[in-house]
Amino acid sequence: MVDFLTLGFFQRSLMAAALTGGVCAVIGVFVVLRGLAFIGAGIAHAAFAGVALAYLVGGPPMPFAIAFGLGTAWITGLLEEQGRMKLDVSIGIFYTATMALAILFIGLMKTYNAEVYGYLFGSILSVTADELKLTAGLATVVVGLLALFAKEFFFLAFDQEMAEASGVPARRFFFLLLTLVALTIVVSLKTVGAILVFALLLIPAATAYQLTSSLRRMMAYSVAIGVLVSVAGVLLSFQFDLPAGPAIVLLATGVFFLAVAFSPKRAPKPALS
Amino acid sequence: MPHPHPSHTHPHHADHEHGKPLIRFDHASFRYPHGPALEDITLEIADGEFVGVIGPNGSGKTTMLRAILGLMPPATGSLQIFDCACQNLRCHHRARIGYLPQKRAVDPNFPITVREAVLMGRAGAIGLWKRPGKADLAIVRHALEDVGMEDYEDHPLGALSGGQQQRVFIARALAQHPQILLLDEPTTGIDTTTQHNVLDLIQRLHEELHLTIVLVSHDINLIAPLAERLALLKTRLYALGPAKQVLTKEILAQVYGPQILTTDTGHVIVADHHHN
Repeated sequence: MVDFLTLGFFQRSLMAAALTGGVCAVIGVFVVLRGLAFIGAGIAHAAFAGVALAYLVGGPPMPFAIAFGLGTAWITGLLEEQGRMKLDVSIGIFYTATMALAILFIGLMKTYNAEVYGYLFGSILSVTADELKLTAGLATVVVGLLALFAKEFFFLAFDQEMAEASGVPARRFFFLLLTLVALTIVVSLKTVGAILVFALLLIPAATAYQLTSSLRRMMAYSVAIGVLVSVAGVLLSFQFDLPAGPAIVLLATGVFFLAVAFSPKRAPKPALS
Repeated sequence: MPHPHPSHTHPHHADHEHGKPLIRFDHASFRYPHGPALEDITLEIADGEFVGVIGPNGSGKTTMLRAILGLMPPATGSLQIFDCACQNLRCHHRARIGYLPQKRAVDPNFPITVREAVLMGRAGAIGLWKRPGKADLAIVRHALEDVGMEDYEDHPLGALSGGQQQRVFIARALAQHPQILLLDEPTTGIDTTTQHNVLDLIQRLHEELHLTIVLVSHDINLIAPLAERLALLKTRLYALGPAKQVLTKEILAQVYGPQILTTDTGHVIVADHHHN
């Protein structure tokens, strides 16, 4: 077991990057396959509004972020279920409304508070031992639940109605998935920030999607890519004195385009068994 | 599996000994928020029976299947499946109903192998807390053999033709070890030869596995030779019985309008052309 307290800030950053990159990549597979990418963006911005409100009223940022993030996740989930409005429209409205709230809360603060911006852009190099523990705890919960119910979540991602019809309580799993997405995003706010967390959810899974035709392998590739680009991004940022978040995201984007260029799906091989 | 015969003429149905009713609609009506979908349906389907559901677009055919799956409770009347009111249908009941939904475009890039897709059919039967084991993989292989797709286990689903994908989805339904098989337009969007192969397969599953089959189709001529009874729907149940009784000009005209033609060979020509 790693004792987080004895780690230097450099090791802590690497650990935080690996954990955040890994857990985002795991849940990102379901986000990409189930088409929840835009919901993820909405949740991230809502969670940031929660953090801004916490700083405005002097409350603890995490519970506020969780409340806002979960609220957005569940409401957009209900809207999608009802299908009364196109999902991109309803999330678009949420997305901008919560961002407007965040800007409003920041504007109402009497003093400039640099810490708030840490949640927007992330500050992986100043992760504390407590934050690292929180990230590790969350990663365990999220990955544990996804592994326990892997067959249900994969079915849900492939065809939710069919899953329901075959005897899987698909609706409950859909909301559990939204909950896990929201928790993952909230805990990643401090490390990579509200704007960039979205990239960690999407890019490793989208890259893995290019590389394989099997669900299990897509999961394995996604995690490997997520962990590697996050750790490599932090190393690059140390080496060249760059901000860590953009280094991670741009590295991931580069890997994604490489995968698109060399994707085996672009050149299907003759199928032989 | 020997590949199905080139034609699907099965003029003689073995007279199955049908068991007790598995599906019982009793004056059941189903509504969508914008209006009625099915009105006052009374219909019993017995264990081991093959019922074809026909009717024009929007006549409630798919709704009938969704109701049998317990996805839509009746607004009035009742629907019993396996001696259980459909609104109380539990997951373990649903696991005994195989369902082939109307063909949707499968994203050709969705990363899923044939084995993974068919294994999903086991999810309900395995239960929540367990993982699929060797026995489940054996069932998957067997289901693929039943539909003649055993050589494609490791292939990406998206790389298969429409007809092959349809076979895989039938295998997924079979992997549930269902008692009832619900098929929604199983031949839409696939070429004529494959259509006949798929129908032959369905006929064989009915005869060999004694599955109760409810098959929905807008193509009357395709299913009339297969089904033991036809149910003609247009929100209400207009007719129910063997093809000879249902497919008369008088009855069909009530549903499809006066342009309906029936030929001497028993073929029905409907002016209601549509493609999904």
